[in-house]
Amino acid sequence: MTPTALIEVDHLKTYFDTRSGTVRAVDDVSWKLEKGESLGLAGESGCGKTTTALSIIRLLPKNGRVIGGHIQYAGKDLATLKESDLRKIRWKHIAIVFQGAMNALNPVKRVSWQIAEAITIHDVVASDEAETRVDELLELVGINPKRKDDYPHEFSGGMRQRVMIAMALACRPKIIIADEPVTALDVMIQAQILELLQRLREELDLSMILISHDLSVIAETCDKVAIMYGGKIAEYGPAEEVFLEPQHPYTQGLIRSFPDIYGPRDLPPWIPGQPPNLLEPPAGCRFHPRCPQAFADCQVRDPPLFETGKDHVAACLLRAPHT
Amino acid sequence: MAFPSGSLGYWLRRRLGMSEVRREKFVLAMKRLNEILDAVIHHRMGGIGLGILSFFVTLAIIAPFLPIPAPQYSFTDGQGRYLATVDPSWEHPFGTDQNGRDILSRVIWGSRISLVVGLMASVIAAVLGTLVGLISGYWGGWRDEVLMRVNDILLSLPWLALLIVLAQILGGTLSLNVIILTIGLTSWNFTARVVRAQVLSVRERVFVERAKASGASSLSILRKHIFPNVFPLVFANTILTVAVAILSESTLAFLGKVDITNLSWGVVLEDAFGSSAAINGHWAWIIMPGLALVFVILGFSLLGYALDEILNPKLRER
Amino acid sequence: MSEIQRVILRRLRNAMITIFGIITLNFFLINVMGNPLDLISRAPNVSPDIRKNTCIRLGLCDQDGNALDLLTRFVNYIQNFFTGNMGTSFNWKDTPVVDVIIPALGWTLLLIGTSTVITIIIGMVLGAISAQQRGKPFDIAATGFSLFFYGMPFFWLALMMQLGFTKQEFGLNWWPVFPSGQQYDFTIPVFNWGNIDHVMNALYHIVLPAATLSLGTVAGVSLVMRNSLIDAMTEDYVVTARAKGLPERLILRRHVLPNGLPPMVTLIALDMAFIFGGAYQVEYVFSYRGIGWVTIEAINAFDFPVLQFVVVLGGIAVVVANFVADLILLKIDPRIKVA
Repeated sequence: MTPTALIEVDHLKTYFDTRSGTVRAVDDVSWKLEKGESLGLAGESGCGKTTTALSIIRLLPKNGRVIGGHIQYAGKDLATLKESDLRKIRWKHIAIVFQGAMNALNPVKRVSWQIAEAITIHDVVASDEAETRVDELLELVGINPKRKDDYPHEFSGGMRQRVMIAMALACRPKIIIADEPVTALDVMIQAQILELLQRLREELDLSMILISHDLSVIAETCDKVAIMYGGKIAEYGPAEEVFLEPQHPYTQGLIRSFPDIYGPRDLPPWIPGQPPNLLEPPAGCRFHPRCPQAFADCQVRDPPLFETGKDHVAACLLRAPHT
Repeated sequence: MAFPSGSLGYWLRRRLGMSEVRREKFVLAMKRLNEILDAVIHHRMGGIGLGILSFFVTLAIIAPFLPIPAPQYSFTDGQGRYLATVDPSWEHPFGTDQNGRDILSRVIWGSRISLVVGLMASVIAAVLGTLVGLISGYWGGWRDEVLMRVNDILLSLPWLALLIVLAQILGGTLSLNVIILTIGLTSWNFTARVVRAQVLSVRERVFVERAKASGASSLSILRKHIFPNVFPLVFANTILTVAVAILSESTLAFLGKVDITNLSWGVVLEDAFGSSAAINGHWAWIIMPGLALVFVILGFSLLGYALDEILNPKLRER
Repeated sequence: MSEIQRVILRRLRNAMITIFGIITLNFFLINVMGNPLDLISRAPNVSPDIRKNTCIRLGLCDQDGNALDLLTRFVNYIQNFFTGNMGTSFNWKDTPVVDVIIPALGWTLLLIGTSTVITIIIGMVLGAISAQQRGKPFDIAATGFSLFFYGMPFFWLALMMQLGFTKQEFGLNWWPVFPSGQQYDFTIPVFNWGNIDHVMNALYHIVLPAATLSLGTVAGVSLVMRNSLIDAMTEDYVVTARAKGLPERLILRRHVLPNGLPPMVTLIALDMAFIFGGAYQVEYVFSYRGIGWVTIEAINAFDFPVLQFVVVLGGIAVVVANFVADLILLKIDPRIKVA
């Protein structure tokens, strides 16, 4: 029996009520995060990766609900936990760094105030002790503590992201969810932030869930990866294996669409078509309308996750065990 | 489909002798108008606003054909005295005023002047405001400063008082044209501000720079790029201006500065106030014209708000 | 000189220009539209002597009784303005304009002050609850109510209040009744707080006008507050705050409100002109002897000195209000730097 993971998502279903119907944003998703590990959630926009992460700490907009599944953490099921108890878990155990930190920070409050707020919500701490913690955190992420009384708009994009990271670490959480942490930044800053995250992970023994549509970011930083498509998991396994030997046609398509620096100077093949409409997903396998290897059965059967290697699974009928 | 885009549109275009390219643009324009109309009807507030306004406009138009007494006709009792301030009854659903005139009829007929003044004054205000906003925003510099100071000054003066002064000097009451003109000349401020802000933001956009770089003249840039981006905003804003104009006219009428042969709702209310209707409890006299005013203003406000949301993509995300 | 100081100075300069423009425009509008001398001449049976004296007294002629031209009158006007000499009222015989207006101003300020305070408190609370209960019955009811009262003509609202609250309606003897105006002695200065009877009587006469003004403006305040708060609520930093584990109540107080308030300040400043317009109408209907009432009487009597001063006062008040609002905004919103 394997030791229980730090956090385990089990058959999670999150739906949204909209005027046009129910959007099945996350439709039966399962994965595990071990202590000290980093998991990447990858996929196109709208595939459900952010919604999965938000569902963990229940930060969904008003019309979203977790309608099924379990989220096991520290012996509790976060999906059914009372709001007041969940609030104690937020930030102190599981913190989140949002993308586009432009608006994620309150524009009329000083940066030091916002970081200190994170601390004082969960611990009763004297104000000068909080000040010292704020200074420490800023130094940790590479910001001069003298700037702690500045407002968010006085920082550049990359520095704002660092502030968000500092704020996320304020309560020494066990898990950090990074939602597209570098998407809105230019490439050089991207590298810096990713390096920072890596260093912090090692120093503070953090576990991380990294969400990105940029496979290169995930490939660089994550131990495990879950490729999501149409609200479901298409492929899940150790990052190296998934990227070097992808088992799901979707993953294969994604990897193929990366231009190879040593390869021919042609436009790489891309995946035709559009992501599925989550109001009425296609019957059978959700990827079949765009899949070059689809066959008749794909239109009818929605494949479960088949084992294709050690801890490596893919939801494709082609990987079904031949009986 | 309220705007002709199908075969009727085609016939229209043939008759107007439009060139092929123009015909294309016409079709597209009509289609867009229909889209907008649909959006407005389906927008909760827009639909209600449109409904209210349709009701009142129809009423105003068909007034001469309704089986109601003439608004200036004074009913008399048997002995030749005015049948004054009678309470609501079957014959006079809203009662009569101090000269025995039927109030329901006056309210229905009053809609014509109230609406016409409002519409025409706001057109003037819109045109003026757009011009000022365009000049101010596009050329900037000293023109902008000067226009903005003028705007500030006009915005700050209690123009209502000035209007009344004007009325007094001109012999006590204002004629219809003067009223329309003066309301129009004093209501352009807000539109100018809004247009200026929009022009400033559009001016910075890339396609305008490109147009300039390719040698287009200022006028053509204004016409082809800036104006189409500004016009929808102006339109939505004008609808709201109409509400303000109607309000202004009724206030002027109420204060007695309007030629009373131009029967509007404000005039009816002025009669009511002059006859101490409130103190004497003639409720229909006060409530009915007022409700008409309120609902028409409400209609324009709702419509303007809906149009603003529809035509301004940023607001739609809410 | 710091950035902020430079901005403030620039705003001050603009305000000064505007005020000067108001003063100038005011003179020309009122005097060019009609020569006061002509109007006085219309009065029959006026001997040339009286005419001459009146002319001199009103500053329209010089010592010898010759009519002064417009430019000279303008220069005198500016000089007088800055020495505080506003002239003498035509209408209220021989009372300096200042003495006619200042007491009336006191009453109007009392009226506007009371109703603005009520409006702001009720409007903001209504807007805040509406924003929080967005989409629920309270919100729909409150927003519907606000839309209905938004843009409602003040004079009609005043008439309705008179209709409803000056007599016992429906024979109910607990129905609140307030005076419709006229009976009150407005010459007793407003700041005579010592006399309790006087104070109570004054309050009694203020209820209806203040209620009318409040009802007319609360709608706008509540609607803008609601929209402003909803805007703030849908921002990302609110999600961040929730992610930090803050309870909803604190999110509202610490994050939503501070971001939602700045637009309110602008709105209230802009509303000042609107409220003044409304006050005129309300005072007229209730015969409440404030500035509005004085103005309308002055207009009917061609009392130009009074009119000049009133218009200028109104304009300056609006400019000052806007300037103060700008200053407040600069203080509370750290994002605003340059105009």
